[in-house]
Amino acid sequence: MDCYTANWNPLGDSAFYRKYELYSMDWDLKEDLKDCLVAAAPYGGPIALLRNCWRKEKAASVRPVLEIYSASGMPLASLLWKSGPVVALGWSAEEELLCVQEDGAVLVYGLHGDFRRHFSMGNEVLQNRVLDARIFHTEFGSGVAILTGAYRFTLSANVGDLKLRRMPEVPGLQSAPSCWTTLCHDRVTHILLAVGPDLYLLDHATCSTVTPAGLAPGVSSFLQMAVSFTYRYLALFTDTGYIWMGTASLKEKLCEFNCNIRAPPKQMVWCSRPRSKEKAVVVAWEKRLMVVGNVPESIQFVLDEDSYLVPELDGVRIFSRSTHEFLHEVPVASEEIFKIASMAPGALLLEAQKEYEKESQKADEYLREIQELGQLVQAVQQCIEAAGHEHQPDMQKSLLRAASFGKCFLDRFPPDSFVRMCQDLRVLNAIRDYHIGIPLTYSQYKQLTIQVLLDRLVLRRLYPLAIQICEYLRLPEVQGVSRILAHWACYKVQQKDVSDEDVARAINQKLGDTPGVSYSDIAARAYGCGRTELAIKLLEYEPRSGEQVPLLLKMKRSKLALSKAIESGDTDLVFTVLLHLKNELNRGDFFMTLRNQPMALSLYRQFCKHQELDTLKDLYNQDDNHQELGSFHIRASYASEERIEGRVAALQTAADAFYKAKNEFAAKATEDQMRLLRLQRRLEDELGGHFLDLSLHDTVTTLILGGHNKRAEQLARDFRIPDKRLWWLKLAALANLEDWEELEKFSKSKKSPIGYLPFVEICMKQHNKYEAKKYASRVGPEQKVKALLLVGEVAQAADVAIEHRNEAELSLVLSHCTGTTDGATADKIQRARAQAQKK
Amino acid sequence: MDTSKSNLFYACEMVLEEEGIYGDVSCDEWAFSLLPLDVDLLSMELPEFFRDYFLEGDQRWINTVAQALHLLSTLYGPFLNCYGIGRCAKMSYDLWRKLEEEEDSETKGRRPEIGHIFLLDRDMDFVTALCSQVVYEGLVDDTFRIKCGSVDFGPEVTSSDKSLKVLLNAEDKVFNEIRNEHFSNVFGFLSQKARNLQAQYDRRRGMDIKQMKNFVSQELKGLKQEHRLLSLHIGACESIMKKKTKQDFQELIKTEHALLEGFNIRESTNYIEEHIDRQVSPIESLRLMCLLSITENGLIPKDYRSLKTQYLQSYGPEHLLTFSNLRRAGLLTEQAPGDTLTAVENKMSKLVTDKAAGKITDAFSSLAKRSNFRAISKKLNLIPRVDGEYDLKVPRDMAYVFSGAYVPLSCRIIEQVLERRSWQGLDEVIRLLNCSEFAFTDMTKEDKASSESLRLILVVFLGGCTFSEISALRFLGRERGYRFIFLTTAITNSARLMEAMSEVKA
Repeated sequence: MDCYTANWNPLGDSAFYRKYELYSMDWDLKEDLKDCLVAAAPYGGPIALLRNCWRKEKAASVRPVLEIYSASGMPLASLLWKSGPVVALGWSAEEELLCVQEDGAVLVYGLHGDFRRHFSMGNEVLQNRVLDARIFHTEFGSGVAILTGAYRFTLSANVGDLKLRRMPEVPGLQSAPSCWTTLCHDRVTHILLAVGPDLYLLDHATCSTVTPAGLAPGVSSFLQMAVSFTYRYLALFTDTGYIWMGTASLKEKLCEFNCNIRAPPKQMVWCSRPRSKEKAVVVAWEKRLMVVGNVPESIQFVLDEDSYLVPELDGVRIFSRSTHEFLHEVPVASEEIFKIASMAPGALLLEAQKEYEKESQKADEYLREIQELGQLVQAVQQCIEAAGHEHQPDMQKSLLRAASFGKCFLDRFPPDSFVRMCQDLRVLNAIRDYHIGIPLTYSQYKQLTIQVLLDRLVLRRLYPLAIQICEYLRLPEVQGVSRILAHWACYKVQQKDVSDEDVARAINQKLGDTPGVSYSDIAARAYGCGRTELAIKLLEYEPRSGEQVPLLLKMKRSKLALSKAIESGDTDLVFTVLLHLKNELNRGDFFMTLRNQPMALSLYRQFCKHQELDTLKDLYNQDDNHQELGSFHIRASYASEERIEGRVAALQTAADAFYKAKNEFAAKATEDQMRLLRLQRRLEDELGGHFLDLSLHDTVTTLILGGHNKRAEQLARDFRIPDKRLWWLKLAALANLEDWEELEKFSKSKKSPIGYLPFVEICMKQHNKYEAKKYASRVGPEQKVKALLLVGEVAQAADVAIEHRNEAELSLVLSHCTGTTDGATADKIQRARAQAQKK
Repeated sequence: MDTSKSNLFYACEMVLEEEGIYGDVSCDEWAFSLLPLDVDLLSMELPEFFRDYFLEGDQRWINTVAQALHLLSTLYGPFLNCYGIGRCAKMSYDLWRKLEEEEDSETKGRRPEIGHIFLLDRDMDFVTALCSQVVYEGLVDDTFRIKCGSVDFGPEVTSSDKSLKVLLNAEDKVFNEIRNEHFSNVFGFLSQKARNLQAQYDRRRGMDIKQMKNFVSQELKGLKQEHRLLSLHIGACESIMKKKTKQDFQELIKTEHALLEGFNIRESTNYIEEHIDRQVSPIESLRLMCLLSITENGLIPKDYRSLKTQYLQSYGPEHLLTFSNLRRAGLLTEQAPGDTLTAVENKMSKLVTDKAAGKITDAFSSLAKRSNFRAISKKLNLIPRVDGEYDLKVPRDMAYVFSGAYVPLSCRIIEQVLERRSWQGLDEVIRLLNCSEFAFTDMTKEDKASSESLRLILVVFLGGCTFSEISALRFLGRERGYRFIFLTTAITNSARLMEAMSEVKA
């Protein structure tokens, strides 16, 4: 293990940099890297290569091939490039490949070379052609920046929500900038460009000249610039072989370095870990790689092959035809433990554990040493942390073993950090496997989060691994397994060579009733692929019928949607489908459909009642529902028709309908109403006043009140008003007029069919006791007592009651006896009662 | 997938879209489902439910009911025993179960707080709702109309020139003591209360300064409050007395009782005819006609025609539509001589077994259902045998809410089912109610339940319930040691039912 730090290279006193191999590349590259456009996605993402045949003067006749590999060199896709010349390639944050063409069109491909979409960077770009382009990442997503042939910049900060922004002009710019980059500051994207000895910063509105703080004199041109992963720092490489490193605002210099190489470097990228004090830049030339920082020395590597640098959050990946390496600053924990002759607690603990395995008593000595310093907790933590940063499983294991060993001597060491590290490393080792080829470091993994990692596995169609990880980490089903299965199913439906039945069955077998899986989403995807039948089959598995409806509508299966909506019991949904159907079908078919769905029919009827009265009529017509048709016209006769002729006509239609419905009563009543309406109209014409729309009863009353007794009688005869009603009516009307004379005449016209008590009552109501008494005498015996009481003849009432020997009447009279005035009467009744009881 | 989306009104969105303002408005849903009107009364405040469902066959509110049940079960845990009767009850219940299944509800592990839930369709018992109410709260509703738990007392009650809006619930101590009482007791109770109040006021005589201070600071406010309430209710009582103790009202009640008991039908019919001829009140006349129809299994054809003719002559021809509505809802029908009970049943069973129509999507049948009231009444003993005077002060049974003449059918059904914990032995009643397909029981094991929760019963009235029914069940609760909670689509009474069915000129 003494040689463990052999690949550690010190940069000054405080930091080490190490480079280790991730994969030995097994890709069968047809072209040299330097002849290709290369794009490698950060976070161990895929690599895209496209032979750059357009750069040379003589355009090759053979079409180039776009190839996509995993980071371990496994081929993912390969397709013949048939579109126009490509200027730049780049990966978006969603791992979509953006290919910027010379004409400003951006073609978007998936990880597996599937074409997704394309968009244009605007007319100006189209006219002036693309000179250079960069794909960059911000917190909003992935952006594209373009330098046109007119030396103008156009950019979009987020290709997912395309908004083109044309940057201001650099005054007097006559040639292409020697180098440029995008900067992101305060959520705004800037462009920094170098022209000769000058630097310009473009924001949305202005172009300003900037000067890096403390820049060495004598610079006549900037050859290369590099912005750090987080946009915090900037490095500039000048034609004097001088490197300036500072903040992205250029206002603060961190350090400078003179490498004395004047050849322009091929690539320059930052290499620093988050929260590390060390800042370093990696510069690559054809055959040489140099790590420079805040010290006069640098670390140099020889490059045997053409290599390509990929900046990462915490280091740099370097890949070439045969290898794929990772260069980074050695993390503090590892440094503490592995530095030669380190006495850090972690180092001692690791040593103790090794001795323990050798069954040597030295183990105890080391342990004691740590414990005496009270640093055992720290030691365990260090070992756990260092394990995370190791790439080799063997080393991870020995560090974890040491941690576990140290934990035994601690009373209360919370186990979760240890357990979590074990889990994380297991996941990391699994995805680093060259079959999978995602070489994430621990820090990158934590930054990326497990959810995004799972998404990326799904994107690579590594469903079984993703599911195993979910199960291993015990993620809740909804976020974990179900989500992945749903994705799998969405992929499955795209397999056009498998029959609908088989796909549907396979999906159902896998998914079953897994919670959180929406069959309707999968079906929507199937429909998106043009597989309507499969979509319908899949929808059958959707337990919530309501969820099926929107898709069914989209697929124009409206009738099925209707029955599903009805099944869901959600009437709003039913309405939605109905309104769809109404527009989709012709009227006849629509009504027929409704006929088979009574619930929908009644809903639609309700709708029509409020919105479309005419449709309602058609509905009744179609069903030969004459009864309802009749009702409909009746309603129309007073609600929508204004003129009397229209009203009568509506009534006539109603009457006809009622006859058809064999509802003679309603038909007759309607005809009567027609007669009455016409008559009322005539009355209004002849007598003036208001008659229309009065009920028959009120019409007659109005006539009597107006003194048109003859007319009233005539009307009563015409409409066969029963005697009883007529008497009640006349009684009320005459009393209202206080025409007592006429009332008396009327009462004597013949024997009253309603008796005479009502006469008494109505007179009393009008406070005419005198008239009331007249009628009281004519009231029949059974109501006599009541009548007498009404007119206040208590004593007389008592006599009649006693005569009738009616107990109820006696009590009634008694209850009317008040205090002193009727004292005698009350006694009389009591006596009569007593007598009655004796008998 | 955003499931809440499905509840947003698609139809609304579409209308907004058609109007071209969809982009300018933002939609949100206010799940307004339950309004607590009192400690034991939840209302959905959907008075339109009755007409929409029972007349138009519109099932849109069923979802709302199911949602309300769902809300209650998420709040109070699962319901242990569920009973129900009626088509709407069944549909609401089924839909609610579906909602529960779809949402892997967190309620599963919850301790149930509600032991029983009973769903009842209004059309199971129209009779009770059609009767004049005589318990105080019902009477106040019939006379002044309680709206959303509060009532407007006019100047004749407040004895000032202003109207006063008063909340009527258990908070009002005076009201709480009289709300369930038969009206004949109320006045006596109030005057007793007044005397007590006076006595309490009088105590201040002979108090020393300290006691007086105490009295003023602690008791006086309460007394004044009580005083105010007391005078209000006395005012209300007087106003009711003025209207209701007239001879007319006595006769009306007498006729109602005669109809319920089924004697002197001819006399009652004549009374109704006279009622119509004299244009006493269109709503009242209609109510009596319906009561006659339901208790008698429909009117005999001659009366059916003549009463309708009279009614049209008195109140206007547009009521032809009212009658068509009433017939459709089964409230006012004609006796069909050939239509035997079995024939009707055949039709019914054919209708319900027609599976093609779907689980809950049966056509709303306009088939006039026979009410079979007389037979049911006999079976369930709804008319108590009278031996001597019925003491309304100390009620024996639920009949007290109708002066001892009639036990509300709805309440009797609930009582019987709760007693048996199922519909067992009530087959004949179910058959007579035409509800063979729509009576259900759903029991769960009761080991989880505390005995306390088993006493708690949620009664759901679909289509509205009356204060008389609430009073009757409160009485039953006191007798049997249950605690009833009421959930209704709206508070109703006879006038509201009739108005819902009436066609009025705009």
